[in-house]
Amino acid sequence: MLNDLRQTARQLLADKKVDVVIGYGQADPAGPAYPVFITRPEDTEQLVFNDRCYNNLTTFLTRKEIRAMGRAAVLVKGCDAKSVVVLAVESQIDRQSVVVIGMACNGVGQPSLAKCRTCDVHMPRHTDMVIGQAADHAIEAKDRYAELAEMMSKSASERLAYWGQELSRCVKCYACRQVCPMCYCERCVADKNQPQVIKTSATTMGNLAWQINRAFHLASRCVGCDECTRACPAGINLRLLNLMLAQATEEQFDYRPGMDKDAQPVLGCFSVKDKECFIK
Amino acid sequence: MRIGVFTCWCGENIARHVDCQKVAEAIRNLLGVHCSVDYKYMCSDPGQSMIREQIRNGKLTGLVVAACSPHMHLKTFRKAAEAEGLNPYMVEMANVREHCAWVHHDREAATAKAIDIIRMAVAKVQQNRPLAAIRVPVTKRAMVIGGGVAGIQAALDIADAGFEVVLVERDPSIGGKMAGLSETFPTLDCSQCILTPRMVDVGQHPRIKLHTYSEVEAVNGYVGNFKVTVRKKARYVDITKCNGCGDCWNKCPQKKNLSEFDFGMGKRTAIYVPFPQAVPARPVIDREACTMLLKGKCGICAKKCTRGAINFEDQDQLITEDVGAIVAATGYKLCDIGKDEGRYKGYGEYGFGRYADVIDGLQFERIVSASGPTGGEIKRPSDGKTPKSVVFICCVGSRDDAKGCGYCSKICCMYVAKHTMLYKHKVHDGQAHVFYMDIRAGGKNYEEFVRRAIEQDGAEYHRGRVSRITEHNGQLIVRGVDTLVGEAMTIEADLVVLATAMRPADGVESLAQKLNIGYDEYGFLSESHPKLRPVETNTAGVLVCGACQAPKDIPESVAQASAAAAKVMMLFARDELTREPEVAEVNEQTCAACFSCVRGCPYKAIDEADITDRQGRLIKRTARVNPGLCMGCGTCVAICPSKSVDLAGFTEQQVYAMVESLV
Repeated sequence: MLNDLRQTARQLLADKKVDVVIGYGQADPAGPAYPVFITRPEDTEQLVFNDRCYNNLTTFLTRKEIRAMGRAAVLVKGCDAKSVVVLAVESQIDRQSVVVIGMACNGVGQPSLAKCRTCDVHMPRHTDMVIGQAADHAIEAKDRYAELAEMMSKSASERLAYWGQELSRCVKCYACRQVCPMCYCERCVADKNQPQVIKTSATTMGNLAWQINRAFHLASRCVGCDECTRACPAGINLRLLNLMLAQATEEQFDYRPGMDKDAQPVLGCFSVKDKECFIK
Repeated sequence: MRIGVFTCWCGENIARHVDCQKVAEAIRNLLGVHCSVDYKYMCSDPGQSMIREQIRNGKLTGLVVAACSPHMHLKTFRKAAEAEGLNPYMVEMANVREHCAWVHHDREAATAKAIDIIRMAVAKVQQNRPLAAIRVPVTKRAMVIGGGVAGIQAALDIADAGFEVVLVERDPSIGGKMAGLSETFPTLDCSQCILTPRMVDVGQHPRIKLHTYSEVEAVNGYVGNFKVTVRKKARYVDITKCNGCGDCWNKCPQKKNLSEFDFGMGKRTAIYVPFPQAVPARPVIDREACTMLLKGKCGICAKKCTRGAINFEDQDQLITEDVGAIVAATGYKLCDIGKDEGRYKGYGEYGFGRYADVIDGLQFERIVSASGPTGGEIKRPSDGKTPKSVVFICCVGSRDDAKGCGYCSKICCMYVAKHTMLYKHKVHDGQAHVFYMDIRAGGKNYEEFVRRAIEQDGAEYHRGRVSRITEHNGQLIVRGVDTLVGEAMTIEADLVVLATAMRPADGVESLAQKLNIGYDEYGFLSESHPKLRPVETNTAGVLVCGACQAPKDIPESVAQASAAAAKVMMLFARDELTREPEVAEVNEQTCAACFSCVRGCPYKAIDEADITDRQGRLIKRTARVNPGLCMGCGTCVAICPSKSVDLAGFTEQQVYAMVESLV
């Protein structure tokens, strides 16, 4: 698998099909992998792929610095592949000019991350190629959102207390935003100051406003790569917020972002089949 | 900023529950408020004069009028401000009537709320910027969709006023339903005699371009500047070569096709002119019936045609028409009585479709019409016998929530009365029975007409419904009830005519979606205001008239068509249009080009655009609002994740200022 990957990357660079391969490198086999940007065929030996390749590398596709390097190839796991689809739908990348190398993945982390336990895309979809083999097993919708059940069993005031507690630790470092492939806006709403939508200082209310705003901006767009949760230095389980909206999107509109490359984004389309039970 | 605040009592409307004097005093102390006064009727002439005087003397730069809904009088006060040289968009209204006085009874609390509402408006007006009306050019050419009597009237009116008209008709001929009617109520003048001269006028009018057998495929653009794509369906006859001699349809061997014009009561050939007075009087080949088109065998029409007008290779054509206004006059159809159809339940109990002698209103029109399949003799469909007893049933498919249709079809009472008279005039020894729920004969000479049917022509009216119709030895057994007598009754009838309800014509929903106009739960097109804007729609430049808007008779359809035409002329009387400048604008610097707004815009007013440098190299992509199309609804503002769209007159700064003034 690793040889195939290095060979593929080498070939793409040698044939000048791409200018940069965005992949994973690893200095310490026991430590986490990190993003590497390979521009020369001989450097492809640095590429690795294993269960410590956490990053969703598609985040880099929309970065100015990476765009300046030319045409890119990017390594994606099944979850990351979904963000490529959303980025293309939202006109952020020209899908034809990006080479997407899918990596069969059996989950990352020791033990596996929460997202991997309910993953049904071990084989990446809508990629230009897939390296390796992994078995996909269907996950029922209710299992995808099983983690929410406990949270939702609490009363509204208990939930508010929970989030107040959790978000009081947020330091507004915006790591969640930086690492998110869907946060590509040139000027984030958090940086807008005329009028100021979100307070800049790290107060609990301001933090709550920021995270709720972020969750809503990701509604029906978040592919569940959970990079925000992994990046959060305060260890806030942001996954729950995204999961909540993902569940609503799937229940109301039978839509999972990034699963179907031809599906219209739910926030931009109307169907007579749309349920309207949220109108009370 | 020097703001003047004018609190209106609206007579008692506001003053009853809001202490306007107290409000004016409280507002006077707000930062930026130069003067605050209250008056009994701000919209009255003295009220407006007072406002103008204050603007003049107080050198006001912003105005808040605390009164009724801006829908009511915003324009009034903006005009007053403009007359004093103040930009009209520096005027804000605080709605203390509908939003406050009308909905509260506690005077003290309502007064406090009124102060809050006005405080918000004051905060907003401080953020207002002078705006200039948007000017857009006008293409002085109209499109009328539908060539029935409403469409014909609208087209002729607009064309006679000196403007070009494109008339699009789905069927092979214009004329619509009215061309198939026998006589018309309440005068019993021959329908075709009054309509066909108008049809000929349309056909010969130098300023009317007629597209028959054509449908609207797509509509782009905006008021004054629409681009409409029209599909001209393959006719297989070149109407520029054809002289309408009739050799083709007289020789066509496929004679057994049900005639649409006769509502299935008569037959026609595969190549046909729908009726003798058709405009254009040129045939069309039914591609579902012609053996040449289906199997490649026959071609007799082509052999007989001395002009070489038949073209079996004909294809649909798409053409584009530039127009400044569109009138939708797509008319109606009758409901499908026998079948369940979406929300509507069928009337299986009446046996329509099962018994040949149970027919609908339009079919009866053809039977009594001199141009109909029986030549005007009343013969029943099953055996051609003259019916001696005819039962007419009102409200079939209307006024019955249980059948899924609550509305009154409006014309049926009148046409049933007419039918009974026409029947009596032709079958002197016959008896007409009518089952009705109520007789709705509101209209000039309408009630007199119904009385005439009952008193002079002896129609027997029974107030009640029919529960069931069965057939026995060629007789229809009609079981009903006369609720005035309080008895169940059974009538043996030779013919039953159902006064079937009007529904909007097929495909009207998809047309409405193309035109971006609303329609109600039944599919009738929505007017902009039920009383004050009855022919306008919520999309500027698109008008409605005739039975596509609601059930209507001929006089009403014609009146409404002329009204729509007048609105078109008003539009065309100017060389450019001014539009409200309260439209969205994209901050192209910060736009992330996700195009959520493009997808979300209900008016298709936002385009994807490229920003390039002088060498034409792409710098970035952005969304861009077409101010001519934007209706200022604000959907894009709400949907934009990076808050890169703002609505002039309702900027985020303004809205935030309003909220902050409260907290």
